Amino acid sequence: MAGSTTKSVHDIFESMEYGPASSSTATAQSWLESHSCALGLFINGAFVCPPDRQTCNVTDASGQRLCSTVCAADEDVSLSASSSLTGLKAWSELSCYQRAKVFQSFGSGLQRHSQCLAELCEMVQSPSSVSALVRLVQYYTGWAQLRDVHAPGWTPQGVVAVVVSDDCSLYSLLLKVLPALAVGNAIIVIPGCGTALPALLIGSLFHEAGLPAGALNVVTRKDLSLGIKVAQNPKINCVTYSGNKKEGEMLSRETAGWGIPVSLSLSANAVCPFIIFESADIDSAVDGVIETAFKKKKEWQWVLCVQESVWEGVVARLKLRMAGMKCLPLLAESDRHIVEAAVQEAQQQGANVMQPCPLPSSLSLYPPTVLCGVAPSCPCVVAPPPGPLLPMLSFRTAGEGLTIGNHSPHGQAASIWTEDLTLALESTKSLSVGTVWVNSHSVFDPSLCLSGVKESGNCTDGGREGLFQFLRPSLSPPLPRSSPLSVDYVKFGSTASRPPIPGGAESAGPARAPRSYLQLVGGRQCKSDSGSSVAVLAPDGSVLAYCPDGGRKDVRNAVEAAIKVQPGWKKKSPVSRSQALYSLAASLDLRKRDMAMSLQAQTGLSLEEAEREAELSISRLCDWAAHCEKAGGGVQSLPQSGSALSLPDPLGVVGVVLPDRWTLLSLVSLLGAALAAGNAVVMVPSEKHPLPALDFIQVLQSSDIPEGVVSIITGGRDQLTQAMANHSVMQAIWYWGSQEGCQYLQYTCCNPLKSLWLHCEEQGGSEGRGEGRDWALSHPSLLEEMWRQATQWKSVWIPTA
Amino acid sequence: MSARNPGMELDLEWVSKVRVNHQAVLKRAQQIQGRKLPKKQWQAAWHLRAVTCIDLTTLAGDDTPSNVHRLCLKAIQPVRQDLLESMGMHDKGITTAAVCVYPARVADAVKSLKAANSSIPVASVATGFPAGQTALKTRLEEVRMAVEDGASEIDIVINRTLALTGQWEALYQEIRQFREACGEAHMKTILAVGELGTFGNVYKASLVAMMAGSDFIKTSTGKETVNATYPVAIVMVRAIRDYFLRSGHKVGFKPAGGIRTAKDSLVWLTLMKEELGDEWLRPSLFRLGASSLLADIERQLYHYVTGRYAAYHELPMA
Repeated sequence: MAGSTTKSVHDIFESMEYGPASSSTATAQSWLESHSCALGLFINGAFVCPPDRQTCNVTDASGQRLCSTVCAADEDVSLSASSSLTGLKAWSELSCYQRAKVFQSFGSGLQRHSQCLAELCEMVQSPSSVSALVRLVQYYTGWAQLRDVHAPGWTPQGVVAVVVSDDCSLYSLLLKVLPALAVGNAIIVIPGCGTALPALLIGSLFHEAGLPAGALNVVTRKDLSLGIKVAQNPKINCVTYSGNKKEGEMLSRETAGWGIPVSLSLSANAVCPFIIFESADIDSAVDGVIETAFKKKKEWQWVLCVQESVWEGVVARLKLRMAGMKCLPLLAESDRHIVEAAVQEAQQQGANVMQPCPLPSSLSLYPPTVLCGVAPSCPCVVAPPPGPLLPMLSFRTAGEGLTIGNHSPHGQAASIWTEDLTLALESTKSLSVGTVWVNSHSVFDPSLCLSGVKESGNCTDGGREGLFQFLRPSLSPPLPRSSPLSVDYVKFGSTASRPPIPGGAESAGPARAPRSYLQLVGGRQCKSDSGSSVAVLAPDGSVLAYCPDGGRKDVRNAVEAAIKVQPGWKKKSPVSRSQALYSLAASLDLRKRDMAMSLQAQTGLSLEEAEREAELSISRLCDWAAHCEKAGGGVQSLPQSGSALSLPDPLGVVGVVLPDRWTLLSLVSLLGAALAAGNAVVMVPSEKHPLPALDFIQVLQSSDIPEGVVSIITGGRDQLTQAMANHSVMQAIWYWGSQEGCQYLQYTCCNPLKSLWLHCEEQGGSEGRGEGRDWALSHPSLLEEMWRQATQWKSVWIPTA
Repeated sequence: MSARNPGMELDLEWVSKVRVNHQAVLKRAQQIQGRKLPKKQWQAAWHLRAVTCIDLTTLAGDDTPSNVHRLCLKAIQPVRQDLLESMGMHDKGITTAAVCVYPARVADAVKSLKAANSSIPVASVATGFPAGQTALKTRLEEVRMAVEDGASEIDIVINRTLALTGQWEALYQEIRQFREACGEAHMKTILAVGELGTFGNVYKASLVAMMAGSDFIKTSTGKETVNATYPVAIVMVRAIRDYFLRSGHKVGFKPAGGIRTAKDSLVWLTLMKEELGDEWLRPSLFRLGASSLLADIERQLYHYVTGRYAAYHELPMA
C-alpha cells in the first residue's frame, strides 16, 4: 500500500490498473478484542476459558496472530457432553413453532452481524458468502416449523457431534449443524481451524437468538483426535463429518465398535469433471472454467474434459482469458515444490503447460496453470496437487466424455456444457455423481441436496433428504452404545467353517436323508464354489438339511453378475420394476404354504405363526411394488430462475446380511426396498436359519425379476461379511449380526467407502421376537427408512434466463 | 487508430455454429457489474480515460450550427482546465475521441473544429439512421456525401430485415458496399441489438459485420427501446475475440445509448478490461457513445479534486 499512494493519476491513466482492493476488518477485530483476543470454548451458552489448557494461535494470511483458541481437554469433552444433554432436553421439549422462532431470530441476528462474520471468514482465509448462509438459515427455519408435519413418526437422534476437517468451509459446516438443530437435536461442533472463529461467533449468535443453553456447544481443538474423543463419549448419539477423506477415514476407524453411527461427507478436494461438449457455448464454458479453477481456495479439483472438435477453440480462449491473470497464493509455502513436481511430471508425459506469467520468486505464489493434453492416468488427474492447476484432457464422442468423467473414485459433482437439451439430460443420467450442473457450476441452494457418490461420501446433506440423517423412526431402536472389542481385523472371517465329515455327529441316520440345498448366484442355482456344504440344524438339534458353504469366490461371482444386470434394472421404468415386484408377490402367494412349512421346519414356529409371516411377506412385497412407481424425484423451487431436479438413484449393488429372526419377512422387506429403488442385491441369509431363504429361490425364479439381480449365498456369516466388505464394487452393506461384525465393517468399509446400515443382534439371545426390530410393523416411517437406505439423491441444475 | 480490419470472406459455417447460452451471459454480466470499482486516484484516472473514449454525440431534429459548435468546443476541452491542472493532466491532450452528428451537420462540425485548430475526428451516422429502412442506393449515397463533407468516421446501421430473416449473405454484401463507400473513413457498424431478438442473432450479426470489414461494431442507435446493456455487450465482445482468434484482426467496440452516469463508464471499462484486455481500453478500439455522460464524469472529477459536489452551473455546458 505504501507505494500505491504515490501513483499519479497520469500513471494510472496509462496503465489502467484496478488499484488496491480495500478490505476492512475493523468489525471482526473489535469482536475479537471484546474477547481479549483469546476465545474460549462455547459451552452451555457462554464462553468458558478453563485454566491450564493448551492454546492454538489463529493467524491471518500474512501470518500475523489474530487471537488464540483453546484446545479442549478430556474434562471439557465430558462437560460439553453433559451440557448437551441438558440442552437437548430443553430444546426438544419446545414446539416446532418455538424452535422455528429461534431460527428466525438467529437469521436476523446473522444478517445484523453479517459484516462481522464476513470479515472473520476473510481473516481466517476461508471467505464465505453470508447471504448464502442466511438463505440456509431461512430454509431450515421452514423445516423446523414443519418437522412434525413432514416427518411424523420420526424422532431426533439426540446429541449429534459435527466434526469437520481444517479445509471444510463454513457453509458445509452449517449444512450439517442447521438441519440437525432444526429437527430438535443438540449439537456439539468440533470445528477445524478455518471454521473455529466463525463457529464460535455463530454459537454466541444462536444463544442470543434464544437457543437453550447447551443445545449448541462449540469445542475448539488442535487436531482431529478431539473429534474422536467426543464421538467416543457415551452421551453422544451420532457423529457426522464433513471434510477431507483422510481424516474422515480416521474418524470412522477410531470410532468402530463404539456403537455410534458415523456419516461422512468427503467433499473437500473431490475431483470433479468439467465437460465441454462441441455443442456448448464455448465462451461461457471458458468463463466458467476461469471463474472456478483458479481460486485461492477452491472447493473441488476440476478436471477439464473437452471434445476434440472444439479443443483448439477452448485452448485459444483460455490463453486469451488467462493472459492478464496474476499469480495466486498457495495455501502453504511447502505446496510449491509439490505443485512444481506435478507440473514437471505432466510435462514429461507430454502435457503442454499454459501459464500467463513466469514462475515468481516468492514461494507462496504460483501462476494459474493449465496442463493441456494430459492422459487420464497422469497423477495430476488422479490425485491433483493443491494449487491453481487445471488438467485438461480431450475426448472424441459425448459417450467417451462421460466415461472419462465417471472414471474416478470421486462422485461429488460434475459440470457439463451443451446447448443440446437431450444430450444434457442423457449425460445427467449417466454421470455417477451427486450433483450435475448443466451450463453452470458451483451453484448451491439448501433446497437441493448435496450427496457424494462412491468415495465422496455416504450421506445426504441439504434438502428435505438431509434432515433424515439426524432423525430415526421412533419405532426403531437406536444402535446400543458399546465399547470396542478386540477384533483382529486381518483374521476376521477367515476361519473356514468345519465341513461335515462322514459319520460325524451331524450326520443323520439313513432313515431320513437330509436334502442338500443349492444357493443362487448370478441367476443360477449352484453349489458353493468350494463345493463344500454345512449342516443346518432343526430346532431340536437334528440335521435338517445341508446348505452350500459359500465364500469369497461366490460373493465375487454374485457381484460380477450383479454389475452386469444392475444398469439394465435401474434403467427399467419404475412401472416395470413395480410390475416385476408384483409378480414376485404373486409367486410367493402361490408357494405360501410351502414357505410356511419351510419356516416352521427351520425355526420351530407354529404353522399358524409361520403362515402369518408368509402373509405379511406378500403384503410387504406389494407395499414395495406400489411404492416403487410412486416415489419419484421432484422439481425444487429455487431463488434463481431455471429448473432444478432432485432425483432418486439406486446405490448399485447392495449386500445384505439378514437377521436370524423373522427370516422370511425381513428378507422380503429388505429385498423389496433394494429392488424397488433399482439396486441389485447379494443376500446372506441367517447362518442359523438359512432354509426359508433358500426355498425362496424357487419363488424368485418363477417371478419376473431378471436373472442376476438377486443372489442368495449361504455359509459362514463372518466369512461372507468379510468377502463383501472387501469387494469395492459393493456400494452398501446392510448388516444384522454380531457386535464384532459391526465393528469390523465400520473399520473396513471406510476405504473404499461404503454406506453401512448396522444392527447389532447378539446370538444366543432369546428365540422370541421381542427383541430388536419388529418386522411385522409396517409403519410408514420404517418403510421410509428402508427406502432412504436404498436410495441416493442426485441434484440437477438447469439454470435458464 | 490501429491497423484497419480488412474483413474476410463470409464464412457461413462459422456463423451457423454460433451458440450462446442466455443465462450464462447474464451471470457473467452480473459478475462484472459486481466487481469492486476503482477508488480515489484510480477512479479519477479511469474517469479521464473514459472521457478520451467518448464519441460526444448530438443526434436530434433540432440540431443547428450553434449547438454543434458548442459540442465541438466541449469535445476539445471536456474537463475544466483547473481541474485537469490539479490532477497533473492538463498537458496530456485530454479530449473526447470524436464528435458524432447527423450527416447534414457534418460540415458545421468540421468547420468549428477547424476554426479551433483541433484534429478531433467528426463521426457521422448514415445509411438511413436510425431505422435503415431506405433504399440501398440512397444509403450508399448518404455515406459518400458525409465523407465528402469531411467526416472521418461513419456509423452505419445494418438492415435488420436481413438479419432477422437470416439473409447473412445479403447483409454481408451490403456492409461490404458501405465499407467501399467509406473509403478512408473508419466504419462503425450499428447492430441495433434491441431489435435483433436473441443473443444468438447478435453474435451472428457481429461476426458478419466484422467479416465485411467493420472497424468497430456498435450496440445501438440510441433510438431503440433497449440500448446498450452489459449482457449484450458481452456477446458482442466475445464475437470480437472470436474474430480476432480466427483472423488476427482487432475490431473495436462501441456501446451507445443509455450510458449516463460516471459509474456506468467505469463498469464499461471494467467489462472491456476483463473480456478483451487493456488494449481495448483506448479510443482506437473502444468508444462510448454518449451525450450527458460527460457532464456526470466532470462532476465526479470536480469532487475528486475539491472534495465537494458541484452544481451543474459550475461546469461549462456542452
